Amino acid sequence: MTPPAPSPPPPAPGVDPHDPGVSLARAALAGDTLAMQDLLAHLAPYVARICGPIALDSGPDAAQEALVAVFRSLRTLRDPAALYGWTRAIAVREAVRTARRDARARPAELADLPAPDDPELSADVRDVLTRLSPEHRAVLVLRDLEGLDERSASRLLDIPAGTVKSRLHRARESFRKAWSA
Amino acid sequence: MNDGEGWPTAELDDVRRLRVMAASIPGARVSERVLPRPLDEVWDVMGDLEDGFGRFQPDMRDVRVLRAEHGRVVALARSRFGMRARLEGTLRPGWCWLQSRFLIIGMAAAPEPGGGTRVAVTGGVRVPRRAAIVPVGVRRELDLALTRLEGMV
Repeated sequence: MTPPAPSPPPPAPGVDPHDPGVSLARAALAGDTLAMQDLLAHLAPYVARICGPIALDSGPDAAQEALVAVFRSLRTLRDPAALYGWTRAIAVREAVRTARRDARARPAELADLPAPDDPELSADVRDVLTRLSPEHRAVLVLRDLEGLDERSASRLLDIPAGTVKSRLHRARESFRKAWSA
Repeated sequence: MNDGEGWPTAELDDVRRLRVMAASIPGARVSERVLPRPLDEVWDVMGDLEDGFGRFQPDMRDVRVLRAEHGRVVALARSRFGMRARLEGTLRPGWCWLQSRFLIIGMAAAPEPGGGTRVAVTGGVRVPRRAAIVPVGVRRELDLALTRLEGMV
């Protein structure tokens, strides 16, 4: 069996200038803190959706740090219509960075990792993700959750397209093995 | 592409959201404390703008809510020094964000994993019409507010 069946895309990245996120970003840039809190409420679920599968247990820290980075550098966003792509890039970068940092600080005990041939654990997406590096998880999120093509994913992660391809192959292979166990 | 069903997602509670807001506003500081009471009891005091709020915020003399609907609130506040402010913002359990031309007030509360409730406050005198706080005495005022709150719940 393969990972969960494809379904309609999520209500996220849009470039409509009348999009609520875009108009909130404009008002926030003008100094309105109510617009900032509304923009935060608008972006938080999107950022959480990206940071969760990449940073796993460090997801809340990663999402918090990603949103701090988004809001602190909001004034560098030249075109508010690029808000979602820009937020996505920051969220992925912060999620990978936080996951790597926390993995160094708390090396996983071997017993914590699911055994590759344990059918009970392997049915859980989270357990399969745990076996991958943050970089592999990032590729998987961008391609399978966000629907980016290989070229866009490689640009965002600043790695060659071939590396995206091989990481994606490895990540999907892990799911295939897990779901067919 | 799939819809992410079954994939882990990161929870960003209201205290974390308040940290994001404060980190994005020049001059803002956050004071936090864990109170040994459940969230609803703590928020009964923090979210009661006309009573509890005015008693633990050091600078507030009284607050009158003019309008509150769909989570949005408009209130008139008077400081101990006689200054008035028309505050507008959001009020819901665990989250309050208010601004006037000269004031920014932020409060949040979330269940603490080890028990009790983590509360966080931020805000102060606003640089008029800007997302910035005059960084004078901010930390002291926020700490005092939490010490008073602690004595009330």
